[in-house]
Amino acid sequence: MAFEMGPETRQVQGMWDISTYRYRMEGGGVRLLTEAMKEKRIKGVRCNECGMVYVPGPTYCRKCFVDIDEVVEVEDRGTVMSYCVELADVRGNPRETPLISAMIELDGADSWFVGAVVGIEPEEASVGMRVKAVWAENPVGSLSDIEYFEVLEE
Amino acid sequence: MRKVAIVGQAQVNASDVGKSRERMLFDLCKGFYDGMGITRHDIDTFVLCSNDFAAGHTISNVFEDCPVGAYMKDETKVEADGVMAVTYALARIMSGLYDTALVVGNSQGGSVMRPYLVMDYTMSPTYDRQLGLLNELSSAALQARAYLDAYGLGDEVLDRIAARNLRNAAKNPDAFNGKADATPESVAGSDKLYEPLKQDHCFPFTDGACVLLLAGEEKAKELTDKPVWIRGVGDSLDSYYPERNLARSKSVKLAGERAFKMAGMNDPAGELDLVEVSAKFASQEPIICEGLGLFAEGSASDVAVRGLAEIDGAMPVSPSGGALGAYPLCAGGVTRVAECYKQLTGSAGDLQVADARTALAHGQDGLYLQHNAVMVVSTEEG
Repeated sequence: MAFEMGPETRQVQGMWDISTYRYRMEGGGVRLLTEAMKEKRIKGVRCNECGMVYVPGPTYCRKCFVDIDEVVEVEDRGTVMSYCVELADVRGNPRETPLISAMIELDGADSWFVGAVVGIEPEEASVGMRVKAVWAENPVGSLSDIEYFEVLEE
Repeated sequence: MRKVAIVGQAQVNASDVGKSRERMLFDLCKGFYDGMGITRHDIDTFVLCSNDFAAGHTISNVFEDCPVGAYMKDETKVEADGVMAVTYALARIMSGLYDTALVVGNSQGGSVMRPYLVMDYTMSPTYDRQLGLLNELSSAALQARAYLDAYGLGDEVLDRIAARNLRNAAKNPDAFNGKADATPESVAGSDKLYEPLKQDHCFPFTDGACVLLLAGEEKAKELTDKPVWIRGVGDSLDSYYPERNLARSKSVKLAGERAFKMAGMNDPAGELDLVEVSAKFASQEPIICEGLGLFAEGSASDVAVRGLAEIDGAMPVSPSGGALGAYPLCAGGVTRVAECYKQLTGSAGDLQVADARTALAHGQDGLYLQHNAVMVVSTEEG
């Protein structure tokens, strides 16, 4: 006796929960940044070969392939290099209020900082607009010490 | 160097293929062997291309070997875009160790999981994932905005690019997301996701697989009277971090230059009859084409208005409908090569580019077009 080869399929739901990861990172550049953030300041690392200033600072230059350790303080304000407006999240759920995410080049830095821009309507956003970090009242030395960015009138 | 040709292709794409991954692969490969008049024993080496996150278990190829016919055979896997898998198969034949190689890419992102979420796990775990602002859609939207802003273009150029691809896809029996009556207006009216991106600008979630058979010179001529020769390959990997001009892709440019050099091409824009590019989002198409030197930088609006990328245009871009017609993760790049093969063997039906002899396939992996691979194929043996 043969079984039916027809189109029936069945689905079972499965999770992939193998562990909680404890990701390791080179602490130097990140500690430098988070320690500075406790004082509402931002510090990165400069490459002496190409001059690139990274925030957060890696321990080597990604382009020149050399060790780097020169500490540089950068501003907590910068220029929006690009932005997008989230109207539905990545799982497909519509958002009540649009969220503006931006790539921000902080003054004095060459890498880009990702942040939410709050306080303007989506249609007011533009590439090139100037923004400033809004800090938590009591920073604790974590990336969330910058709560969001607001548009800077200069 | 040993000459290598593509001698056959087969593909399946659907929003829900209605089969398990194993059965999808078995049906496709069995049908392919039968159609070619060969058996699995004619394959010297198998190059599989799939992704552990998309499969939902590690070593995603463990359940692929038997349904593609690789039981007890020589097999290897590429976990990246399919053009890289085809390149690997090419290298294996060029080594002289194998005469034939079967490339099989697959994933079931239409019915089994949500492809955007796979990309969440390419994000830096210590920074971007902690902040939670970046994902596949927001990064594509950031790149789209950077491109539009760099050249002062309006968002509507993306609607025109998407409408062309969706109309072409409607004529492609191997695509499923085609829209015969797509217009810039209908695209503009589709659901808003992350501005400037709307639903119709984005690749459809796809269940799919693509098979490509490669053979060394002598074997290729035995297997077909229409071999399509692989003439050049190039690959370039940018940094993960977006500390670069997102409006342009140096990685695409370098990958293209490497492929053109290997193919001995001095004037790619003049020598190519069509290109099939992996633009997962409409906004990536001009960045890729401009990186390859096919159109001037920032010319997307002009290209659309003058119809340069249409099937009868000066440089047909993704006549198959490209990634907007179907985009199975991993198989995407294999599909681009397969669509070039269809064109160069005169089997592209309503999408046929007249007198197509030389074509380019592009594949990509990562955020913001981080990793790009290019392959030049031709009816000319070279």
